[in-house]
Amino acid sequence: MNSPVMATGPHIHSKDNSRRIMLDVIIALLPAAVAAVVLYGLPALWMILVCVVSAVASEILFNLCTGKAQSVGDLSAVVTGLLLALNLSTRVPLWQCVLGSVFAIVLVKCAFGGIGRNFANPAITARVFLLAAFSSTVAGGAFPKAVDAVSSATPLELIGVEGAELPSLLDMFLGLRGGAIGEGCILALLLGFAYLLVRRVIRWQTPVIFVGTVFVLSLIATGSLTAATYEILAGGLVLGAVFMATDYSTTPLTLEGKALFALGCGVITFVIRFFCAYPEGVSFSILCMNILAPWLEKWTRRKPLGGE
Amino acid sequence: MRKNISTLKLPHYKSTAGCAAVRIPVPKEVLLPVSPMNSHSATAAEPVVQVGDHVRVGQLIAKEKDRGSSDIHASISGTVKAIEPCAQGGRKSIAIRIESDGKMEKYPDLPIPQPTNLDEFLECVRLSGTVGLGGAAYPVWAKLSAAQKNHIGTVLINGAECEPFITSDHRAMLECGDLVKKGVELLKQFLGSEEFIFGIEKNKPDAIEAMKKLFADDPAVKVLELSSVYPQGAKQVLLYNATGKVVKKGERLASLGVIIINVSSLIKMAEYFVTGMPMVERIITVDGSAVKEPKNLIVPIGVSVRDIVEACGGLKEEPGKILFGGAMMGKTQESLDAHILKATNAVVIMNQKDAAQTEPSPCIHCGRCVAVCPLGLNPTAFDRAMQVEDEEKRAEILTKEQVKVCMECGCCSYVCPSHRPLAANNNAAIGFIRSWERAHKEGGK
Repeated sequence: MNSPVMATGPHIHSKDNSRRIMLDVIIALLPAAVAAVVLYGLPALWMILVCVVSAVASEILFNLCTGKAQSVGDLSAVVTGLLLALNLSTRVPLWQCVLGSVFAIVLVKCAFGGIGRNFANPAITARVFLLAAFSSTVAGGAFPKAVDAVSSATPLELIGVEGAELPSLLDMFLGLRGGAIGEGCILALLLGFAYLLVRRVIRWQTPVIFVGTVFVLSLIATGSLTAATYEILAGGLVLGAVFMATDYSTTPLTLEGKALFALGCGVITFVIRFFCAYPEGVSFSILCMNILAPWLEKWTRRKPLGGE
Repeated sequence: MRKNISTLKLPHYKSTAGCAAVRIPVPKEVLLPVSPMNSHSATAAEPVVQVGDHVRVGQLIAKEKDRGSSDIHASISGTVKAIEPCAQGGRKSIAIRIESDGKMEKYPDLPIPQPTNLDEFLECVRLSGTVGLGGAAYPVWAKLSAAQKNHIGTVLINGAECEPFITSDHRAMLECGDLVKKGVELLKQFLGSEEFIFGIEKNKPDAIEAMKKLFADDPAVKVLELSSVYPQGAKQVLLYNATGKVVKKGERLASLGVIIINVSSLIKMAEYFVTGMPMVERIITVDGSAVKEPKNLIVPIGVSVRDIVEACGGLKEEPGKILFGGAMMGKTQESLDAHILKATNAVVIMNQKDAAQTEPSPCIHCGRCVAVCPLGLNPTAFDRAMQVEDEEKRAEILTKEQVKVCMECGCCSYVCPSHRPLAANNNAAIGFIRSWERAHKEGGK
């Protein structure tokens, strides 16, 4: 007979585990991935597969080379690869996808100690890196098969261009517009958001405050409800707000910190979109706030009950 | 505005709630440790019997010296077989072994106490050997003695019983109404308290009903229905939810004019003033996946887990974990040879599957431990701090993060998706910071 286990409590545990959380994120991203393939066809599928496989492979190789315990079982590399793919357009060649995945996993995640230790979101950072290195392919976006268009300009690039024909709000909601493969179909992203809320993987505050801030500031700046709605449907705002501004490692632990984080993201996105050279600012805003996250966490520390 | 204290919804596992407490057959022997075996600050009572002595139920067999222990009385009649070292739950004590004569003969000299003032009352409570039965085992007289210095306006009677599995307080409230009433009367008379608040979780509607009925014509008594969340019965949580007050750092509960007493402790104390019998038995819950027939039992203090299991039809499976207390804060025991202490409110025996431990994986910074902590602490910061090599730096972080506020309720460990042993780590961190502070103070002199 084995002798009874001696251990400190608690002796029961919630059913959740890290792997299940990552699996939930993957499940939540599936509608967007399916929408991407429907909208952009096989090239989108290849991008997704290549990004995921290269992300997982680079984590395995990194662990082998550094003698670390194998960690791909936690599925976080799959999430990173999937997110990166959804953040790129079909104009990006596959070898650049591979490069982005390797950059995200090796330099941004593993080099800082792996899951939970990185300070910047791997997928976002890789996207920004690709944007800087290969701006001709990464900036702008391709159009869905169903959209008859010659230009590769995205709605955000078209806003303000005189005579440019903008897609309708419904088209914007369904993803019938140019851009990255996974950012367009807002319907799919909202399904994923709902799933994450039901599974309690994330809280509603970050996405709602992020998107809400952009909406309100755009409304003030343009004075038009339609234009403000357009702003929140366009670009990678919803994708970023739901899936990347809610990343655990790179955002504050406290709820108040998360709220400030989301507010900051919204403000920076607005400023870049309206006043800077780049048409889109979601990636930059999240990256900037990633750097501020530890401070936000410090500033929003609660006073313990019975403490000082 | 009253803020909401974070709490945790747990499975209740209170399958014994409907089981009236039954008395177990007289055990062949009992082992009574003279220390409460609950903390490092516990002291030992001094045995006043010798090997070979014949003792009867209620007879004093060990006399306490201070607040670190309580008077120990024979819980069965028979012969003192040994006064020997014992070890269980990772702690050691001297213990008195009594072999039963099967008669359960009462000690004849147990007069019904008739105190006339607070000091006499406290002395009586002291002689009753009653301790905090919620788990702390702190002598009840010592807790009540705060009334000598502070006016205790409010008495909070803790019937929350938020721990999974345990229903012994629940049963005590249902079965010992008269004693509850007597207890409240005693405190009213000698402490002069104006307000009595029962804190009971809503998952015990019959107990709430019973208490309301019992005190229907007493305006001083309120029955507070608390949501069934963990750790509703913890001192700071119950105090805040019942009164809105908070015990600040370095402050004592009594200086707020409040004491919190567990409902079973109140009953045991009252029993002494009705029968003259000191604390020799208690109600315990026996449950867990390895137990054949989960039950509530009335057991003599010092009975072995083996005897208790027998009274519950034995075990279905090999025990994987033996707990004194509930599933959250229960203390593991080495074997079925452990003996029931005064503060043991439950014996939970899990099968090997339920006892299996999951290997921890790295922290993913999800913030659930922070969100769930009832006291608003940051357990993952303690976890990281304990990995810091430099002791001075470690102590600095732990002090800043106020680890000493932690009450080790275990919510953080429960929710951690990476299965990190956060509660155990908090415990280690508190131990570290205490010893570091001691060393630091001595070094500074």
